This record gives sequence, structure tokens and C-alpha cells, in this order.
Amino acid sequence: MISAAQGTGVYVYGVFASGAPAPHGVETVEHDGLVALVRDVPLDEFGEEALPTHLNDREWLERQVRGHEDVLASAAEAATVVPFRFGVICHDRSDVARLLDEHRELLQRDLLRVDGCEELGVKVWYESPQAPASDASDDAPAGGRAYLERRRDSRRRALELAAEREVLVADVHDRLARYSVASVVNRPQPKELSGREEQMLLNAAYLVRRGDETLAQEIASLRAEHAMSGYAFELTGPWPPYNFVGEDA
Amino acid sequence: MTALAAEDITLVDLVDRVLNKGVVLTGDVTLSVADVDLVYVGLRVLLASAGTLDRLERER
Repeated sequence: MISAAQGTGVYVYGVFASGAPAPHGVETVEHDGLVALVRDVPLDEFGEEALPTHLNDREWLERQVRGHEDVLASAAEAATVVPFRFGVICHDRSDVARLLDEHRELLQRDLLRVDGCEELGVKVWYESPQAPASDASDDAPAGGRAYLERRRDSRRRALELAAEREVLVADVHDRLARYSVASVVNRPQPKELSGREEQMLLNAAYLVRRGDETLAQEIASLRAEHAMSGYAFELTGPWPPYNFVGEDA
Repeated sequence: MTALAAEDITLVDLVDRVLNKGVVLTGDVTLSVADVDLVYVGLRVLLASAGTLDRLERER
């Protein structure tokens, strides 16, 4: 009996337009003008039963995720690429061709949409100013009228500041979107995930023409305008256009 | 503005894109690993606190 864990599958990184050179060490499956970037993978790591276990191995996961990104990023240097999510695996090469055939419409739409473009990631962070040292009046007995008024004032101030931040973030996004072909606003990552003390206010992705630096210049302007104000602007990328392909895009 | 070097990109950013975004194709010709909520599993591995993950899952 042949174990399901034996043999190889074909891992698909993504698709790019025909005629472009594939990155070193990556093979291609071409079908009717679409080229899939692939590599053979052992099913004892990537098979239906083995994969969930391996995903729980931090080192394995990190290696695979970085490998996926490295292949797509170097492919993107040569041609427009439509990145797949990690984990699209076919039984063999002829199944890859069938996959391209079955999803031709979506893939061609995506290739057209991201043609000549790259993705930039932008995060806006905010660090609350240090709470002012309590003055002597704070030692007044709680429950007094002054105490209640102070509490009400500080709550109102906090709401005003939150509203200000909301307006600023909307304004930042509008300004950046002006320099992009398309944009996606994702949910800000919580502190546990970002690993930073600052609060993430904006977590967005912008699709820009390849090599277009106007959005980066706008980030530089924002940094200058908001210097020392508690706001920080982070730019990442260029990335393959992960946020601008697929059914949901 | 130069791009960040690959090693500077935090793993969370990378996982957020590679496991959460991009084209997902399923069907008879693929192995059915897409049934796994990849980003959930991936983030679980990255996060020390299971409580954090439960909260993230509720907020999805």
C-alpha cells in the first residue's frame, strides 16, 4: 500500500505574464498565455495531513513564509506578478495547467489590474503623551465636586483627542490614496501583534506604479508636518500586490 | 526612500500578507489545505499568549 504521505506535490507561488524569466530555482508551468511559478514539494511536509502540523512549527512556518515572499518579490522585479496566498498545492503539473484554465478569467483580470504596479504598506502609529504628574489638588478627597469636574474634563479631552486622531488618519489616507491606483485599509494590528507600545491607527496598502516615489515623498512630508507630535509614519515595501488580487479584491 | 531590507520586515507583516492575502484557488486539482484558516494558525504560532489569539478571533 502506498502511503498518502509519500511523493511530491506542486506548490504554486503565483502567476505572471508569459515571456518573463522565472527567478532562479523556480520552475514554471505555462498554459495559454499564463505562467505559474511552481516548485515540487514533498507531501510528507505539504500534504493535507502533514501541513497543519508543520504550520505549528514556528521555524518551518517562518522559512516557508519568507521563501514564498522571496520568490514572488524577485519575480516581480522582472514582470507583473499575481501573488497567491501560501498553500495552493496541486497534485502534479498537468493539474496546475488545469487550475490556470479553470481560473483564467480571474487571473487575467488580476494581471491586468496590477499590471506595472507594486504595493506599498503604510502604518500610522500614535504614542500617547505621558500623563502629567498629578498635582496637589488630586489629593483632595474623592467625591467632591471639583473631583467630578476634573474627571469629566479629562474624559471630554480624551474624546476630543480620539476624534482628532480619527480626522488625521482619514486625512492621511486621502492624501496617500491620491498618489495610488487603488488602496485597501486593513484593520490596525493590536499591540500584542505589532509588538510596539504605540497604538496603530492606520494599516493600509496602496497600489502604485512601479518605481513611483510620489507616495514615499508624501510620507516624508507627513513626517515633517507631524514631527514631535506623537505620530509616526511607517512605509514598507515594495511588496508584490497581495492586497489587490483575488476574489475579495 | 529605499525599500526596507527583507530582514527588517517584521514577521507579522509578512504573515499578514502571505497567509492572509493573495489569490486562493481551490478545486479538484488542488490539495484541500485551503480549508485551514492559515492566518489564524500562523498567528497562533507567532503569539505567545493564547488569550490574545482568542480575542483576535472574536474580532474577526
